[in-house]
Amino acid sequence: MPAPLVRRFLPITAFVAASALVLSGCASAGDESADGGEVVWAIEGANLASGHMDPQTSQLDVSSMVQRVVLDSLVFQESDGTFSPWLATDWTVSEDGTVYTFTLRDDVTFTDGAPFDADAVKANFDRIADPETASAQAASMLGGDFYAGTEVVDEFTVEVSFTQPYAPFLQAASTPLLGFYSPEALENSVEQLKAGGPGINVGTGPFELTEYTPDQEIVYTRNPDYAWGPDGAGAAQFETLRVEILPEASVRAGVVESGEADLASNIPPNLAAELPDTLTIDSNEYPGLPYSLYLNEKYGVFADEKVRQAFARGIDIDAAVEEIFFGQFPRAWSILGSTTPGYDASLEGSWPFDQDEANSLLDDAGWTERDTDGIRMKNGERLSVRWIAYTPVSDDNAALANAIQSDLSDIGFEVVREVLEPGAYNEQYGPKTFDLTDWGFSGVDGDLLRSHLHTDGFQNASQVSDPEIDGLLEQGIATSDTDERAAIYQQLQQWNAEYTAIVPLYSPSLITAVNDTVSGLEYDLYGRPMFYEVSVG
Amino acid sequence: MLVRIAGIAASVIVVLWGAATLAFLAFRVIPGDPVSVMLGPQAQVSDAVKDGIRSELGLDRPPLEQYLSYLGQLLQGNLGESYQLRMPVTDVIGRQLGSTLQLTALALLIAVVLALAVALFARGRVSRGIAAGVELVVLSSPVFWIGILLLSVFAFGLGWFPVSGTRNPATIVLPAVTLALPVGALLGQVLRDGIETAERQPWATTVRARGAGQVRLTSHHTLRHGAAGALTLAAYLVGSLLGGAVLVETVFARPGIGRVTLAAITDRDLPVITGIILFSALAFVIVNLVVEMFYPLLDPRLRRVRQGRA
Repeated sequence: MPAPLVRRFLPITAFVAASALVLSGCASAGDESADGGEVVWAIEGANLASGHMDPQTSQLDVSSMVQRVVLDSLVFQESDGTFSPWLATDWTVSEDGTVYTFTLRDDVTFTDGAPFDADAVKANFDRIADPETASAQAASMLGGDFYAGTEVVDEFTVEVSFTQPYAPFLQAASTPLLGFYSPEALENSVEQLKAGGPGINVGTGPFELTEYTPDQEIVYTRNPDYAWGPDGAGAAQFETLRVEILPEASVRAGVVESGEADLASNIPPNLAAELPDTLTIDSNEYPGLPYSLYLNEKYGVFADEKVRQAFARGIDIDAAVEEIFFGQFPRAWSILGSTTPGYDASLEGSWPFDQDEANSLLDDAGWTERDTDGIRMKNGERLSVRWIAYTPVSDDNAALANAIQSDLSDIGFEVVREVLEPGAYNEQYGPKTFDLTDWGFSGVDGDLLRSHLHTDGFQNASQVSDPEIDGLLEQGIATSDTDERAAIYQQLQQWNAEYTAIVPLYSPSLITAVNDTVSGLEYDLYGRPMFYEVSVG
Repeated sequence: MLVRIAGIAASVIVVLWGAATLAFLAFRVIPGDPVSVMLGPQAQVSDAVKDGIRSELGLDRPPLEQYLSYLGQLLQGNLGESYQLRMPVTDVIGRQLGSTLQLTALALLIAVVLALAVALFARGRVSRGIAAGVELVVLSSPVFWIGILLLSVFAFGLGWFPVSGTRNPATIVLPAVTLALPVGALLGQVLRDGIETAERQPWATTVRARGAGQVRLTSHHTLRHGAAGALTLAAYLVGSLLGGAVLVETVFARPGIGRVTLAAITDRDLPVITGIILFSALAFVIVNLVVEMFYPLLDPRLRRVRQGRA
């Protein structure tokens, strides 16, 4: 009778299997060292596991946000936009603005023991600029085609040169995208940097990446020798920084509310409004180009400036943004966000929602007839535009799109929206066969407008092609004087307010909820938490 | 016997080949330039670099040539390297497989225990009605929502379970329960249905007439009949566990195959997609084989027929 025997053994086998499962679960549970304290930080981070652990190659904010604790930079950008020494004690820019000479600290070591010197700077910058690396943002911040090379002058002096004046370089050099890996990591594990892991992403930072479970958590352990932080910051005041990757927003809000996490970033506005008063809610506006609509002037009805202006004036942006984002995100008035150096505050309130104005602009443009749906017509053509959106679209942005469609239909302007998979989107984006599309772009330097408005800009979805604008953008990149640069970018902002190539809608913020266990938390210009002075108790 | 094994092996190979071919075709049919998608939105990469990537991955060669070299690699057991991570596909899947296996195994265990408990203990008309109602609600609710609900009550509200992290083994409980509930509900429905049908059979009356109580009737007779239907569902359940794992892993922030799959599809990581498809196909084939071997254990009639034929 073999069968009953098997049957009798089945429950036992199942029980043994179940116990083994539980035991193996116990075995993997780490020992908790209370020494020095631990900060648990919940982030969204869903993309980290698909090859975005390396800010030198990734264009995503999240890569820089987490790896900042590992990667130091040459200079530090203060909250007022000025630069202070970090890994470089001093720097000079040549008369013509093409050569930057940095004097490096001589007491810095990577967490694998290797010294930080001019060779390390060169190795990192050369890796970023190498086409093989396929860097998605850092290479262009390093000047892209303008980058001429890095030269080692002596052990602690390094020269970075460009083929033409490149003013945004200091800002770029202050970001984790141009941070430094140990030369040994670049030598031995360069292929693994994107996937990331302990012993691979090795830097000079206040923390060392010691454990990484993709899609779950990153554990950073204090670098006890750290003595070269920005503004004189030394070793961290707590032992472990545990980054929990929680893609679901309500879960992030839940863990910080229940105290399981000390702080949680990427909190959506609706949840931020519901969190209890015991938490500190820090909402930091992203600098750069606000979330905007790009009106393609080379495809259809947007060729007419009056139509573009009517489009912008016909949307009740204030009401929609206030309602959808629970007052957490400010409505944008300009193509630079209010925290971006060079922001032109005089544009605030200069193009308010005005249905009458929008209607008369459309009448002037000749869209006077109406079809049976109430959509305006001209010479038998309907006033209809096609909006392509890149998936995934957040619920909030979908709601905003609905509001826009409904506002514009009130003035007889039809907006058809197509939400497309990345591949299908690129098929229309490439040949520019759409009327409008949407995105925001974070960055601290006004030069980001160059990719959006220059004739050759790779993100010029509006297809602006104006020699005067090209000239201003080129002047902006070549001018080293801060005030002169600000004046150039203000001129560009003023120009767009009239020309309406881009319709800015709102400035998203990085919302971080912080428990009272954490003190000393500060934020960088991008709104990302900095842990240099943080203590837990 | 040898013929039978050879037949099984051949069918496994055909299934795997079909799956690999479908994966390749799907990858070719989706519109858009795969390299742009791989690089992600707003990547500032020149066309020269994109062409470099394209030729490095062999995407610039004719489709037939790509297909043949792809099959050739698979034949050598080489799944290739992930486009995104620059890691061998076996490592990408391997490093996340363990946690999915733990999760699904525990979920399956909980589901079976739940289904059996409901089938055995919900005896009366009223209790069966209540059980059926609850099962219907659970089955109709999205896994996602069940997960958030359990989290709000047991993690954030009562604080019994931690949400995430590798530190505490208790983090597996809530996700496993979330995944188990719909599976358990479905199993319970099928099991109860089978038992009820069996109870209406003439032999059930005979068993009762011999003096067997309700418990003995169920555990020794009707449960066995009911289980046959439930077992047939096993292959489907494996699928729903793997599919449900995507959502559960996202809500509970667990690493696992589900997350890998989702990322690989959005990032057009063909080698990883192929690896996962082949893995799932293999898992289905194995589960079906195991199920087939289990039938004779449950049903003596099948056992005799098989033995008679051999």
